[in-house]
Amino acid sequence: MKLYKKEGNIIQILSFPDETVEKGDYLLIQDNYVRKALIVQVIDVQFANIPGIFEELLRSLPDGGEQVKGEDFDPLEIAPHITYIQDARLLRCKIRATMENEILNPNSSWLPSRSKSTIKKMSIPTLLKLAKVDGKLPIILGGTKDSMLLTIDASSLDGRLNIITGKKETGKSHLSKLLMLNLVGYGATVVVFDLNGEYINLGVTSDGKRNGYYNKIHVLTPSKNFKVALKQLHLRVLLNILVHALHLPGTSTREFRHMWQSLKERDNLTLHELGEVIRNWRCNNHVRDALFSRYYSLVNSGFFTDNVAEAMLLEERLFRAKKEGGAIVINLRNTSSMDRQIVVEYVLGKLVELLTNWKLKAVFLFAEEAHIYLRETYWDDIITRMRHFGIFTTFITNQPNTIRENIYRQADNIFLLNFTNEHDLEAVSRAARADAETVKSIAQDLPPRHCLVLGKAVKDFPMVVKIKALDIKTMGETRLFFKDMN
Amino acid sequence: MQTVQIGSQPITLKRKTEHTVVAAVDTSSMKIGETPKGMLITVRGACVWKQRRQYRYLRFGPFIFHVTDENKRDVYNALRGGFSVSPYEHNNNSSPSLLQMPTRIASFLERWQHTMLSKTVTDGLILFDGSLTSGVADTSTQQMKKILDEARKRGNIVLAFSKMTNLRSNGYLITDVLLGHKPPYLLQIAGLKPKPPILLLGDVYVARFTKGNYSFRLDIDKEVPITCQIEAVEKLLGNDLFSQSYPETLRLAHIFCTFTANEVIAMQRFIVHKFDLKIINRPDMHKLLFGPFGKGENAS
Repeated sequence: MKLYKKEGNIIQILSFPDETVEKGDYLLIQDNYVRKALIVQVIDVQFANIPGIFEELLRSLPDGGEQVKGEDFDPLEIAPHITYIQDARLLRCKIRATMENEILNPNSSWLPSRSKSTIKKMSIPTLLKLAKVDGKLPIILGGTKDSMLLTIDASSLDGRLNIITGKKETGKSHLSKLLMLNLVGYGATVVVFDLNGEYINLGVTSDGKRNGYYNKIHVLTPSKNFKVALKQLHLRVLLNILVHALHLPGTSTREFRHMWQSLKERDNLTLHELGEVIRNWRCNNHVRDALFSRYYSLVNSGFFTDNVAEAMLLEERLFRAKKEGGAIVINLRNTSSMDRQIVVEYVLGKLVELLTNWKLKAVFLFAEEAHIYLRETYWDDIITRMRHFGIFTTFITNQPNTIRENIYRQADNIFLLNFTNEHDLEAVSRAARADAETVKSIAQDLPPRHCLVLGKAVKDFPMVVKIKALDIKTMGETRLFFKDMN
Repeated sequence: MQTVQIGSQPITLKRKTEHTVVAAVDTSSMKIGETPKGMLITVRGACVWKQRRQYRYLRFGPFIFHVTDENKRDVYNALRGGFSVSPYEHNNNSSPSLLQMPTRIASFLERWQHTMLSKTVTDGLILFDGSLTSGVADTSTQQMKKILDEARKRGNIVLAFSKMTNLRSNGYLITDVLLGHKPPYLLQIAGLKPKPPILLLGDVYVARFTKGNYSFRLDIDKEVPITCQIEAVEKLLGNDLFSQSYPETLRLAHIFCTFTANEVIAMQRFIVHKFDLKIINRPDMHKLLFGPFGKGENAS
């Protein structure tokens, strides 16, 4: 390999056919005279612009598209040299760091010698060691291209905002399950908004046996084993539900607050009594109608109950998870859009309440396709205010444009699976920790179950990894009509 | 520059499609670098033939020579001896200048290919690039005569196409004289008297085979009767493809022997790796002296 050109932070390297270099590989450009080296990552492999190549190709196809047959008497055996030159490649590489005395720094203000530098491939383990991508809480993500394990530290997800994105069926949920189970394994409290019921069997192996996580996975299905009694609710949480999920106007909210206080004073906080109070409250009829319509929405959701024994205490499960690590899976499958919002408002409100009172230390929140159930104002709330309370969110989506640009900008880690659509890649490339060229070039060619990891987890050295398999019962499979016929 | 007369009546041609093999030869030579002692030359030859609607080729080379002032005579005489058809022809101790060496070496290879084709093709048409002029530095009369004799013995007719000519009629290049006649046709050229020792071994025509302002000088073996010469051209029209009045077989021969820039780089790499020769890049004095006004050594 030979150093050819540098433009901005892009280095172009000439590579020959016997040197196997692919997109995503790291190269070390060593200049022994200055005792420094550049670490660059290949972001694109192109054919070298060899003069005369066009004529060469035309010559081989002059007979109406059919190759002219013939023989070559080539005693000096020049032909292999010609094909060697023809197949020369140009590697477009992004400068990632400078290495000096085994220490890495992001400085790229110097230029290695074109004639004297040596270029060689850098193995991922060497790079990980130099970049100090290690720690006491390893999470094995999977294998790199050179059959080495890529391990990140669980603490790199702690206090961070993460995004897992990729097109359908590339393994997003699989990766989030892997991260989640590892966090649970290290004693973390995890809450999952499970839109499609994919996480409910995480405690069971593929052959139906219980695995080590069985007792740590708590599946809560709203209106089935997950109900709340009004008595357990904080007024603020219920107001959030009424205002944000059920869009109750301001005047009606004010009246509701009075009704709630009246019921509370009488220690009569039940659904039945709430209905009676709304019916008999002295107020404008429009307000009464507005309150009644919201009241029936709450009743019909089946999420609220007057039977305290029937009410599942989210707190209790969270405290259990706090002690020994565990995941609370909120199963939102078969839940209507409005009910989903009610449940999410309740859970988030409850989490903030517990975290504010330091009853919980921190929670890792995994939110699948959050745009479906998360109200607009919560996005900023989650990444700014709630992060300080201790809610560390991982968004999982196959529609990257549903996540706002400011969230990408603040994302600490991005786990990017395959995307072919340029608009999707454009959205992801807005992330502060990713450069557009790397994202667009590498993510387009990622095979299924391969992920480009960007951000703090890999110390800003983007790495491609094949996500390791998990022995859990899969529930994320799409239901198919022709499945049994094939 | 020579002045000649053009026949007043064009010879109208009809395509004869009876199957005839068409074969063509061309060579290329090139200086691919300079060394402290001399220059690196490469030559390659190509034979292309069309048989049963399919083109086939046989390529010789590239052959690379490191020619210096010390070895140029040995190289030249060795090649002349190797490629010569008659042993008595290479008794000359002189050798061309270094600059002439690429074309001379290519000529040896070309004549050798001519000889081989004349000995292997039967009842075919053999197309040469250039003219049937002999007695010049790189083409001896004996050698050319021998090639044409061999070809004739096997029922072949040799036709030579020149892309460039100096022949003029009434002050105009013969290839610029365009009649209102519908192609394909030939115009016979008369009055061509080369100075000794140069000898013309063919009858000369202006050939215009397709529409458009393209015509070429065409030399056909003069030992062949004129009717056979015309019939040979008609068979060529019926057996080969023509674009811009030029036969495809000869065009392919040219394409196959030409060196592309990519091949030049590959050969330079081969030389450096295999023989550890240092190729020097001499500065272009035109550029050096005249800056943006220096168009390089090859510019006219």
